[in-house]
Amino acid sequence: MLRPQASILAASLLIAGPAAANGPFVIKVGRAETVTKGVIEHAVILVEDGKIVMIGEDLPIERGLPVIDRPEWTVVPGLVSAYTRIGQDSEGGDDMSPDVRAKDELWPKSPDMRKVVEYGVTTLGIYPAGNGIPGLGVAIRPLGETVDELVLKDPTYLKIVMRADSASKKRIKDGFKKADEHAEKVKKAKEKWEKDQDKKAPKKEEPKKEEDKKDAEKKDAEKKMAQGEEPEAAQEPKPDAKTDKDKKPEFVPPAPDAKSRSFVELREKKLRALVSVSSGAEFLHWIDALGKESILFDVRIPLNQDSDVFYVFDKKTYDLDVDGIGDRKCFAVVEPMLTFTPNTRRVRNLPLELSRAGARPCFTPRVDELASYKAWLGHVGELVGAGLGHDTALRALTIDPAELLGVADRVGSIEKGKDANFVFLDGDPFQPATRIQAVMLDGKFVHGEVDQ
Amino acid sequence: MIRLESMRRVAIGLALCAVAMPAWSQDPPAPAEEGKEGKEGDAKKDEKDDEPERWFAIVSGDVHTGTGEVLRGATLLSRNGKIHSIGYDLYIPPDTKTLDAKGFRVYPGLVAISSQGLLGNATSDFDDTMDPFNYRMILGLATGITTTGAGTGAVKLKRFAVGGAVLNQKIFATFSWSNSNPRGKGELREKMKAATAYLRDYREWQRKVKEEKELPEPSKRGVDNSVLAVLQGEQTAKFVANDRDELLGIARLAQEYNFRPVIEGCMEGWTVADELGRAGARAIITARARRAKDERQVMAGGASIENAALLHKAGVPVAIKPANEGIDLSGLVGRDIMHLPLEVGFAIRGELPDKAALESITIVPARILGVSNRVGSLEVGKDCDAIVTDGDVLHYKTFVQWTVVDGKVVYDKEKELYFAHIRPRPEGPAPKKVDAGETLPKDEPAAEEKPADEKKPADEKKPADEKKDQ
Amino acid sequence: MVASCTIPAFRAALVALCSAVVSCALTSCASSRVADLSPLDPGQKGVAIRCGKILTVDDDDRVIERGLILVREGRIAYVGSDRAIPAGYPVADYPDAWAAPGLVELHSHIHGGDINDMVLPVNADLRASSALVPANPSIRRACAGGVTTLFGIPGSGTSMGGFGVIYKAKTHGTYESIVVRNPGGLKVAQSYNPERRAGDLGATRAGLSWIMEQYNEDARAANREGTSTLALENLQKVHSRELPVLIHSAGSDGYPAAARMWQVDNKTRAVLSHGCFDAHLTAPWLVATGASLNVGPREIDFTTTRDGRITGTAAKYLAAGAKDLSLNTDSPVVPQEELFLQGAVAARYGADAYTMLRAVTIAPARVFGLDDRVGSLEVGKDADVVLRSGDPLDPRSRVECVYIDGQVEYDRRQSGQWF
Repeated sequence: MLRPQASILAASLLIAGPAAANGPFVIKVGRAETVTKGVIEHAVILVEDGKIVMIGEDLPIERGLPVIDRPEWTVVPGLVSAYTRIGQDSEGGDDMSPDVRAKDELWPKSPDMRKVVEYGVTTLGIYPAGNGIPGLGVAIRPLGETVDELVLKDPTYLKIVMRADSASKKRIKDGFKKADEHAEKVKKAKEKWEKDQDKKAPKKEEPKKEEDKKDAEKKDAEKKMAQGEEPEAAQEPKPDAKTDKDKKPEFVPPAPDAKSRSFVELREKKLRALVSVSSGAEFLHWIDALGKESILFDVRIPLNQDSDVFYVFDKKTYDLDVDGIGDRKCFAVVEPMLTFTPNTRRVRNLPLELSRAGARPCFTPRVDELASYKAWLGHVGELVGAGLGHDTALRALTIDPAELLGVADRVGSIEKGKDANFVFLDGDPFQPATRIQAVMLDGKFVHGEVDQ
Repeated sequence: MIRLESMRRVAIGLALCAVAMPAWSQDPPAPAEEGKEGKEGDAKKDEKDDEPERWFAIVSGDVHTGTGEVLRGATLLSRNGKIHSIGYDLYIPPDTKTLDAKGFRVYPGLVAISSQGLLGNATSDFDDTMDPFNYRMILGLATGITTTGAGTGAVKLKRFAVGGAVLNQKIFATFSWSNSNPRGKGELREKMKAATAYLRDYREWQRKVKEEKELPEPSKRGVDNSVLAVLQGEQTAKFVANDRDELLGIARLAQEYNFRPVIEGCMEGWTVADELGRAGARAIITARARRAKDERQVMAGGASIENAALLHKAGVPVAIKPANEGIDLSGLVGRDIMHLPLEVGFAIRGELPDKAALESITIVPARILGVSNRVGSLEVGKDCDAIVTDGDVLHYKTFVQWTVVDGKVVYDKEKELYFAHIRPRPEGPAPKKVDAGETLPKDEPAAEEKPADEKKPADEKKPADEKKDQ
Repeated sequence: MVASCTIPAFRAALVALCSAVVSCALTSCASSRVADLSPLDPGQKGVAIRCGKILTVDDDDRVIERGLILVREGRIAYVGSDRAIPAGYPVADYPDAWAAPGLVELHSHIHGGDINDMVLPVNADLRASSALVPANPSIRRACAGGVTTLFGIPGSGTSMGGFGVIYKAKTHGTYESIVVRNPGGLKVAQSYNPERRAGDLGATRAGLSWIMEQYNEDARAANREGTSTLALENLQKVHSRELPVLIHSAGSDGYPAAARMWQVDNKTRAVLSHGCFDAHLTAPWLVATGASLNVGPREIDFTTTRDGRITGTAAKYLAAGAKDLSLNTDSPVVPQEELFLQGAVAARYGADAYTMLRAVTIAPARVFGLDDRVGSLEVGKDADVVLRSGDPLDPRSRVECVYIDGQVEYDRRQSGQWF
């Protein structure tokens, strides 16, 4: 049956010509779990230039397009691990280094990092090592020749480690104090600028105004030099000055310095925080430390056998004074493991409880090592067996961590326009007997079937 | 002299004695330590006035206020966590969360003079380090304890929330008065002397400086700050002493330098009870402490089960603590903080009167910790910290059924696994039968996560002559 | 026809009569003894105790309000409602006090020093009585706590520690005046302790059990052959069921293992002592073996049962149908004078309070074959009477006076309150 897409297929055929490395090709599989658009049986996916051009059920394919025909396979999006340091050296940020970037320690040749693709992982969220406030994370693909080829997004989140001690609270207060200092600076600069603006009223003053403007910009430039940023070309203002006469001049606030930028951006909600809390108490202390600050944050919950974080999943169950993790719809980075109610042997499925409470679990491997990545789908499968929904589990490996990292426009689901990152399996991803057959990253096989 | 003034105050206070008066007017001669905390508490109350009103009522229970009064079948009403009224035929506003205590008793939340582990692993900076979910806090609340001495402060067992739990800090200055350190005794004496002299000079200076503006302040050199704080009534002197002559020495020091010591241990206190009473001492004792009399002494000595009773008779307020201040779940039962009321039972064995026995784990430790304006008895204006028990709180079979802190139920015996299986509450939901190793069924929330339905205020519980206009 | 019908009926009646006689003989003869209300002779020692309430703890669980106990020559001559006192009796008036039997302790180490001889793994030939120090300070304090009969035993340092001595907690007296039965019974330790301490073979339970079984086999063989040696004679009495055996064991592994070995296989009069940790999980099987359970000093479990509950172990055994459950202090682990508190604690954690009073009086007496003399206030038994200001299990009740064998051994008004 001719469908609108079919004509596009024909069109692309005409354009593409013979099969080339980046040329279009088609993948046909028995089942595609797209994550965002449901499950498509007899799926047909058109890939070109490393992106998904089209996906549909049983789309007719023009002859001539190379086809990978695997009716016995299931395809899921490439897995996203949002919180890992696989393949990185354990260099720590120090206790208060909100400016340190994980990007700066990336090493494209890292063997462990490159090997994760064999286990279906096509996107990694690397976080900076260390306690306290070690710095900013970065989202990367595991393969690339240069750091720039690796990086998908930088920064992703600010990592904050929250422990039940005064030092943690003090660090957070110090961070916001720096943001306060910057706000003061901005206020003063604005006041000064406004004063300068007031003096501009008569024309006679114009040259003076231009000089003041030049001075102000010179100061800005100096400031920017101090931060290692390129100052705007000093000449620019001059030609603009003529047109500026008509345009209303705008105040350019000074940029925050390295130490205060992260907290300033947190306040402005341009940056999210990922807060590590390992117990209910630590979550409450985090909220207490935030006080009146309103920022966007998600949580990382390192699970242990007796984890009591369930106390803070929602406000209602234990009648808390504050909203719980689920009420805030946080992303919650957790290992795929079952735990016990403390002091008992009664099993709990915390990722399931999180999702029921409204939070969005994102899985990490149980241990940040290759062996755990290899077993990752199996471990998540255990949780599915214990009641976690299949869809929730798959989301927690794909689109939710992608959103947490801010790269959900590119990865995390099988949708038109996204990167062609796929994991091909010989069955339901969460069944213990299923094996990964092939992995595709940006339209190229990086594991498994090589000939296209 | 401080002493005379406060004695006069006591006389007036006693003369004005009425049911609903705040506790501090009934106190024996005391420095201003408690009043100070009271003012802070009031300030906090004002901050909360712009909150939506949160009403809570415990109805139909036999209310033992801890001041000696018992109101049978009465209602206790709290507003925003403070006790608003206690009595009969109270007007209960709509949307009041009620707890039906019919057939049960209501007592003040117990005050542990000290404990271990109830706040988690925290040992200081409790507002930053407290673990309000740790199981030892739950067991503390199950015992009926709502406030505990912690470090040198006093902290409320606030469950499910952090912040605002610290009631008082830096309460004690601990001194040593020990036979094994005679030099230390002399040094303490010297410090007291120096501090007293400084205070005297300072007052002189304050008087003179009005005229002679240039007069320099007296030097604080050589003056020990803790001792000074004690003499000025800002901190309480605490000693750990058990021997008869050590206790006498402390009593005499206290009388000479005018402070009221708190003495922990005080095993042979019963032999010098009168002296301790005259010194205004407060005692923290363990009723079952055992120590043989020193056979070389002719006088009475050693520990006695009658210690608490004899000290009380001599006017020494007695606070009771167990042998083990922490929670002991190893199997041996009865000597730890979870069995605090049992320890008090042994003091009653030694003939401590029932009223003083209840006070030894409520108002007396509250006064020693300087928090008696907020906790320690059920009186209007104090925090709504109460326990609902299925019998006399000092009976060996009695369990706490509910614990209320700041007008909120924070412990329900039926909802926690620990004791729900022991004499389950008849009207409550049947305790969930769970075997070890049970896995949660698929897609079914675990029953213990679902809260039992809140006790809705039943219309028939509202007083018949409700004057509300609707 | 008629004749043939009556013969089975007659046989049945005869059988019934015989069993009635036998059971009458087996039950404490005291209950069928007749009260003696005759006047007290001048040469005889006695006292008439009047009190507010009497808890007899007899088989009918009689409680008498406003009662009277007549003591004659160390035995109870009458226990019942207040009445005219026969001539010659000095009167002791305790109008507000409750009278209850003196408490019976089956697992105590306060009789003297030297509780373990740990050179050999098995010491079936030793006797704890050699170390008994009558009326030592711990015993005196125990008396002030209402404990009147104790089984003083070796510790758990070896698998068979030796034979313990049953004695009275008099506050003054000689060895002869306090010993009730010596040897009183065998002490065996079969979990946790001996495994740590044995020197040669016997570092494991398998080894210890093997060694003990060899001794048991020798004793049984000697019984069969009718011989007796100094080393084995007491162990032989255990196997002939003349003496009971108290076995320290615990855990869901050790407790049933001890029951299996001593009650089921060796068919001795086994009293399984402790039963703590998660042993209560095997309660139904244990109860079915018929072994007597002696619980304490640990009475709750939380950490090994691991179901989030604080489990009262005595309540669990009772719920499984344990008969004559008794409690112990393992003094000095729990101070001996707090035996009553073990009852209170067991009641707190789910057991019936009155059953726990029996668990520290008649039940231990019965399972150790002492109930002809102690454990309840009945005519003919020893006059071991404790007068208290209230409920015997309540810590708040103070002991006013303790009689042992009809003599005042502790009087609060005279000597001050020791406890």
